[in-house]
Amino acid sequence: MGAFTEWFNERAPGLGAVYKKHMTEYYAPKNFNVMYYFGSFALLVLVNQIVTGIFLTMFYTPTAAGAFDSVQYIMRDVNWGWLVRYMHTTGASMFFIVVYLHMFRGLMYGSFKKPRELVWLLGMLIFLVLMAEAFMGYVLPWGNMSFWGAKVIITLFSAVPWFGHTLVTWIMGTFVPGDPTLNRFFALHVVALPLVLLMLVVLHLGALHEVGSNNPDGIEIKQHKGHDGHPLDGIPFHPYYTLKDLAGVGVFLIICAVIIFFAPSVGGFFLEHDNSIPANDLVTPATIKPVWYFSPFYAILRMIPSKGLGVLALAASIVVLFLVPWLDRGRVKSIRYRGLAYKIALAIFAIVFFLLGCIGADLTPGWIVGIFGPNADITTIENLFGRILVILYFAFFAFVWVYTFFGFERTKPVPERVITHA
Amino acid sequence: MHDKTFRASVRILAAALLAMLVAFAAAPSALAEEGGYPNANVNVHDQGSLQRGARLFMNYCVGCHSLKYMRYSQMAEGLGLTEQQVMENLNFTGAKFGEPIISAMPEADAEKWLGKAPPDLSLEVSARGADWVAAYLKSFYLDPSTASGWNNTVFPNVAMPFPLWQLQGEQVPVMSPAEKGQPATIEELKLAHPGSMTPAQYDRAVRDLTAFLTFVSSPDELVRSRMGAWVVIYLVLFTLFALVLKKEYWKDVH
Amino acid sequence: MADDSINKGRRRFLTASTAAIGGAGLIITAIPFVETWLPSARAEAAGSPITVDIGKIEKGQMVRYGWRKQPIFVINRTPEQLQWLPKQDPRLRDPQSDASQQPEYCKNGHRSIKPEWMVLIGICTHLGCVPDYKKKVGPEPFDPDWKGGFYCPCHHSRYDMAARVYDGVPAPLNMVVPPYHFVDDTHIQIGVDPKGAA
Repeated sequence: MGAFTEWFNERAPGLGAVYKKHMTEYYAPKNFNVMYYFGSFALLVLVNQIVTGIFLTMFYTPTAAGAFDSVQYIMRDVNWGWLVRYMHTTGASMFFIVVYLHMFRGLMYGSFKKPRELVWLLGMLIFLVLMAEAFMGYVLPWGNMSFWGAKVIITLFSAVPWFGHTLVTWIMGTFVPGDPTLNRFFALHVVALPLVLLMLVVLHLGALHEVGSNNPDGIEIKQHKGHDGHPLDGIPFHPYYTLKDLAGVGVFLIICAVIIFFAPSVGGFFLEHDNSIPANDLVTPATIKPVWYFSPFYAILRMIPSKGLGVLALAASIVVLFLVPWLDRGRVKSIRYRGLAYKIALAIFAIVFFLLGCIGADLTPGWIVGIFGPNADITTIENLFGRILVILYFAFFAFVWVYTFFGFERTKPVPERVITHA
Repeated sequence: MHDKTFRASVRILAAALLAMLVAFAAAPSALAEEGGYPNANVNVHDQGSLQRGARLFMNYCVGCHSLKYMRYSQMAEGLGLTEQQVMENLNFTGAKFGEPIISAMPEADAEKWLGKAPPDLSLEVSARGADWVAAYLKSFYLDPSTASGWNNTVFPNVAMPFPLWQLQGEQVPVMSPAEKGQPATIEELKLAHPGSMTPAQYDRAVRDLTAFLTFVSSPDELVRSRMGAWVVIYLVLFTLFALVLKKEYWKDVH
Repeated sequence: MADDSINKGRRRFLTASTAAIGGAGLIITAIPFVETWLPSARAEAAGSPITVDIGKIEKGQMVRYGWRKQPIFVINRTPEQLQWLPKQDPRLRDPQSDASQQPEYCKNGHRSIKPEWMVLIGICTHLGCVPDYKKKVGPEPFDPDWKGGFYCPCHHSRYDMAARVYDGVPAPLNMVVPPYHFVDDTHIQIGVDPKGAA
């Protein structure tokens, strides 16, 4: 092994240096907690999606006439096809679970603050591309929800002033989602967006490594270096975090395996029932809803009575996340040392996001009937609560700005060195 | 102290998420919420049930309904039958062993005779849920106002005539007293003429037929859960080793 | 300050065992992916055996069938063609069909179950072209001593009436004989060995 390394380093010395810079001599804070697993989990899921995706592409037929049948061919005729497909669908949903938790970590510990604003922006771009990738992937099986979901989401673009309707026709390539739409979504989903995603992930990690990782105490570990020039509170990523992440990956894979092998559709959340019916432009499903991970944003769209404003609110709910590094003017990074009001606000935000998701996923009618009785006016009650939740969603960002810009926040003293427990 | 709160909240959250996951996975699917159909009690691991269900399907359903995504050979494998058993007892469509189960009824005629082509049922349980299918099969009743003379409380005005009336018998609706200005509604169904099966026997037959259709919707189910147990055992073993390895190296970190 | 010295042996053992378990898992995970490339149930069904009616095939005539996307030649050999078969042995590369592919029950002088019925996969063992059937016994431009057989136009390989390859041509092996059996005197099923065959 040593001889090979020597031979290699003589011929490509730069690569060895890259390995050192990003693994064995990348000093990460030693106080990472459970919230710090999700970045590496996301990378693992990305690899899973690419590998299983490539294999699915070997057997999938990207035409409106053949797509649905080809998915059944994969599930039944191709040896182990069902496993490859379920790994892909489970991976898609796990991707969003992991990414939402990863983003929440950022909000908790102020990982978006200077000097890491670029890391946050790149991450938000990844999130945006991921949503597009997932949306297009869901259209490919060409089930009835694929078709109607495509129709509804693409039609949103008609809200764009002046050329909205042309835009919609341009996206679809025809007048109702059909073959041209499917073919181009296939090309984008399989080739174009994965390449963009990979590039963004490389940039995201590159930007992070330039400035170094944040940590649950929000302290910059580079401020206290030892005689060897390394941060006193830092440890080399390899072997410490490679091994820790390996163990974490083990637990993560157990969860994924339980889903894949025992309940891959997760009661209709990961794989919707209406998609077992082939696309039919004459029959709309009883409830059109996107897959669960889009639910909070879908709820925001639905709760605004005007179509144009609804689309605007939907766009704003994502754009506002890009602005967080500039809305939050607090100097203290980590929630551990921030004012009580911020902790409460963030907790409320998380609950609001979850409840909006329940509305978007159409879970609320059952609850409303359960609480208010069978004669309840579901629409009015849902709209009332939903609109309050939408206001609270945006209020979080407004609150953060007011709270920090005008100096209302009372922070606790931030320690010099990170706090670890034995 | 913040650590303890944080760790406690993470544990509560993890437990809540896990509980939600288990609840969603184990509970009858969200479909049955609408109207709350009784649990069909389907067990796809009961080969006897699948075999009886297959025979019922071939005797009463395949005349009109195809299972175009299921091959006779795959059915044989899932039901634990030999090629000969399947070809002699379950193949009424004249297909070769490796070919899919396609109904003999030409689609053009089906539309002419019944008003609507009988749909393929390969994914019916996936689309509507086992509970719905079972409830549907038990809810036909005589209705002189329809073209076929039959109607169904689970699927009002369905075009399908009832093929299992010889087994279940014939049901008639019992109307609830009409309120002022409101049309009378069906309160329940009553067996007017008994069939060759008792209600308990028919219930079991419906359960078997639904089990068979559940198998047809996802044949991988038979293999999946068995394999899943081994995969989880392996992953637990791997995770334990990885954990011990991690702890060993982290002794360096203070 | 704790100063546990690093137990190198324990670390090596734990690293090796974790790597071994993980590696085994990766290999086992790769197996299903590799197996997706094996013929699917659809391919198996399409490649399932075919039964053909040979009742109308005249002496000397060849009929082509398709099985597993390959051309299957079925020939009703004439007595004259059969008579010359053993005499071709010295001119052949593999007269006993030792290196060539055929079912056990066809490893004989006429490479078939019944002498007059020849069943073979009509693909030249050189580079895969479909050879022509040259049934007439008599001099041919490519062989003045031609006793009937197959001639491949692509690179001029020649085979006798039992599809055995001649010496001095590019093809290395006799043409392949598929599994088959006689359902009755006028029907052959291609793709299935006779019951109880070796």
